[in-house]
Amino acid sequence: MRDPDGFFLVPILFIGLLLNIQPEQPDQVIESSLSPQTPIHHVVVLMQQNHTFDNYFGTYPGADGFPGNLCVPIDPAQEGNSPCIEPFHIENHSVEDLDHSASTFFLQYNDGRMDGFVSALNAQNQDGTLSLGYYDGRDIPYYWNLADEYVLFDRFFSSAHGGSIWNRMYLVAGVPGSEENRIPDGGYGNISTIFDRLQEAGISWKYYVNQYDPSLTYKSLGETSFLDPQVQWVPLLSFDRFIDDPELSSKIVDLEQYFVDLREDNLPAVSFVLALGASEHPLTSLEAGQRFTKNLIQALMESSSWENSAFILTYDDWGGWYDHVPPPQVDSFGYGFRVPAILVSPYARKGHIDNTELDFTSLLKFIIDNWSLEPLGGRSLQVNSITSAFDFDNPPRSAIILPFDRISLEEPNRAPHRIVIYLIYGSITLLAGVLFIKVFRSDENSAQN
Amino acid sequence: MKIFLGNPGIKKIGWISAILIIASVVRLIGLNSFGYNSDEAVYSGQAAAIVQNPVLMDLFPIFRAHPLLFQFFLSLFYFFGISDLTGRLLSVAIGVATVYVTFTLGKELYGDVVGFVAALFLAVMPYHVLVTRQVLLDGPMTLFSTLSVLLLARYAKYWRSSDLYFAATAIGMTFLTKEIGILFIVAIYIFFSLSHEIRLRFRDILISAMIAFTLMALYPLSVMLAGGETSTTARQYLVWQLLRLPNHSADFYLRTLPLEFGPLVLLLAILGFFLLWKERSWREILLMVWLVVPILFFQFWPTKGFQYLLPIAPIVSILAARTIGRWFYSMRDHPIRLGGINVGTLAIAIIFISLLIPTLQVFTPATSSSFLAGSGGVPGGREAGEWIAGHLPDGSTIMTIGPSMANILQFYGHQRAYGLSVSDNPLYRNPSYRPIDNPDKQILMGEIQYIIWDAFSAQRSEFFSEKLLGYVQKYNGRVFHIESIPLTTGSGQTVDEPIIIVYRVYP
Repeated sequence: MRDPDGFFLVPILFIGLLLNIQPEQPDQVIESSLSPQTPIHHVVVLMQQNHTFDNYFGTYPGADGFPGNLCVPIDPAQEGNSPCIEPFHIENHSVEDLDHSASTFFLQYNDGRMDGFVSALNAQNQDGTLSLGYYDGRDIPYYWNLADEYVLFDRFFSSAHGGSIWNRMYLVAGVPGSEENRIPDGGYGNISTIFDRLQEAGISWKYYVNQYDPSLTYKSLGETSFLDPQVQWVPLLSFDRFIDDPELSSKIVDLEQYFVDLREDNLPAVSFVLALGASEHPLTSLEAGQRFTKNLIQALMESSSWENSAFILTYDDWGGWYDHVPPPQVDSFGYGFRVPAILVSPYARKGHIDNTELDFTSLLKFIIDNWSLEPLGGRSLQVNSITSAFDFDNPPRSAIILPFDRISLEEPNRAPHRIVIYLIYGSITLLAGVLFIKVFRSDENSAQN
Repeated sequence: MKIFLGNPGIKKIGWISAILIIASVVRLIGLNSFGYNSDEAVYSGQAAAIVQNPVLMDLFPIFRAHPLLFQFFLSLFYFFGISDLTGRLLSVAIGVATVYVTFTLGKELYGDVVGFVAALFLAVMPYHVLVTRQVLLDGPMTLFSTLSVLLLARYAKYWRSSDLYFAATAIGMTFLTKEIGILFIVAIYIFFSLSHEIRLRFRDILISAMIAFTLMALYPLSVMLAGGETSTTARQYLVWQLLRLPNHSADFYLRTLPLEFGPLVLLLAILGFFLLWKERSWREILLMVWLVVPILFFQFWPTKGFQYLLPIAPIVSILAARTIGRWFYSMRDHPIRLGGINVGTLAIAIIFISLLIPTLQVFTPATSSSFLAGSGGVPGGREAGEWIAGHLPDGSTIMTIGPSMANILQFYGHQRAYGLSVSDNPLYRNPSYRPIDNPDKQILMGEIQYIIWDAFSAQRSEFFSEKLLGYVQKYNGRVFHIESIPLTTGSGQTVDEPIIIVYRVYP
């Protein structure tokens, strides 16, 4: 808790004198209360864009992916008579930025029947069949490798049934921020964010933005009539205090600083990362996104922070793609459809698929609980945390740089048959032993003769 | 007690025990002070792969260039844990066993004195000591080849069929240790062709040939039956060896080996050969073919390795000992004494010391950053590898100047390493190695994260050293770790010379 005016200092000292104890410096009091409740001392959150769980992991073995015999009707109104579309591997199909407005969500959701995905997009004059396309280990090998090694969440819902702006606000504040999926004209005002809580508690944090331009904030809207993606995807740039207060604004930095901080052993307790160009938003390269993520994770693994870190990769909204799990409607904003989410940590369970019902505010819940912060409003009070994905009973696992190529778990065994080697060379070794015994026994005999 | 010491049998045991102790001591002093060199790392890596060590089996394929008899034997010890010292201790044991077989051979050919003297020379011969302190195939191959000579000598002496069969078995073992052992089949053929006094029965020839070739056939058979991706490497290796460019000049052995055999030993061996020409028999023919065939072969073979001529070391020892033994024999009634000491004994002592002094230099730390393959461990390699194992994330990929350092770092560092100098043309690269197709692309894509420069490879290939450092500069390489060795400058000062530098690249 910050106490710039020393308002609480006098009573604390007074009580200290009464109790005849050595008064402690306020900083030391804060230090002792800052200790994380788990071995996790660093949380890094990377939020990419616009994919559903089924779109990325619908065919991942063991996960709650596409149901068997799935076929989504082109026109759900025809009730069983409509031709339908089965999920298909996207391969070389051209993709487009599918509509992912709140109205499309409700049409696709169709009161929980989950059969309006094609028709909703067709109604927008888009190719609705594309929503049933999926990627797999051939297209996103690195993410599938991560899932093999760490934790894949298959009940992780986007917080809101709209696009990026609501969902990213949920990630930082646990609330949508506005009634409409847009940044209010006057910014977000006094809504508390997780960064306010961290700042109050004296816990380090940073928001790393790829190719960060500090001149672009929500206030730029009036000048350009186009809200830059950086502003849409970094909610803090729509808060006056995070723009104007030098202490707060200094924590929103270019991504280059992330690598410098890791090298200099200076990674904050909580870091959020915005990829910007490599966001995997449809029409951008999935490979570029994966390489971006790989660089972040790899740099973390090479740093001294790795041993006490948790890296969370997730996606801000569903992007119009199909997902088969009806999202629970916990309030008037969501949940939205499931999104991919992966936890990479030395304490992450190995190759684990976590079925806990989660959303973006679950990450806030974890941060709040871990550093014993004042609770935030909204959902972060009630949701599940991600703690079930950790195994704190065992020592941390050492870092492992996963290859970019898919490690196939089902690849035929191309190693030589060791039994042949054991048999042949084992027999020869025995024979060599017998040879020596014979030779030197006869040597002894001839010596005796 | 007096009776006990006066017993000639006990005396002999005492002498040979003393020689074997000397052989062991000179091979064991500071045995593990330096880490493995490239070949040692490869053979130990293969042994680890045979026992399915979870880390090393992915980095070292079982089948590479040679048969697996020694690696298999080593793998039996690796069931109890992987350690570089285990491999070296096994090599030492094999080296000491060779000294004993040399003693037996010398004794069988020329009597006890020659046996003892030959064993003593081999026990401290720099060449044999140096090679049998390393995990190389040439030490065990020399053991089996010397055993083959011993058994051939017994056959020639006693005409027992079983000795010929045993000799065929030993030749098979020689081949199964290192395929170049097939050379000795040629040597045996020449030996029997020139030794007319030895009678050979057709049945014995047939059975011996069957034994030898059946054993030899087990190598290709094991490759074929074991299958797997890496078994093709073994098949490609012979083709590559036949087509590869020379790695050393024609005078390589002449420049390097005489000092390693010991000039006095060599001189005695040559002197004896000429002085005792008239006394030649099948014994000298046997020794000479075992000497000449490998020398001629490797003189003309494009690939010359420092340790390749090790099988001739016991033969050279016996030839030198033969000269001394003959002199002892001729002087036995009227020995010449100097200060009360038999001159022959004095000569042996002088030669022994002349061998021991350079041998002891094997243990002194490196004073330069140059390195000859096969001549010992690589300073700093193990330390750098262990640093890598402790500090780099699993799955890291390293680029080195050449494959030699890559092998060492893979063994100790447990991370995959590729040599920049490995050609992408299959005609010009060892099929065991994988080239880096496009270093720029692989660095930019994050597939190579570390670049490691080392003084030994840089000294061998300035071109690739500069190229490697070019990538360090181009991709913002930052020094992560430096391995240094203390070097003495011309002015007598000791300075820490960086010999291995680990860079992290940030494309």
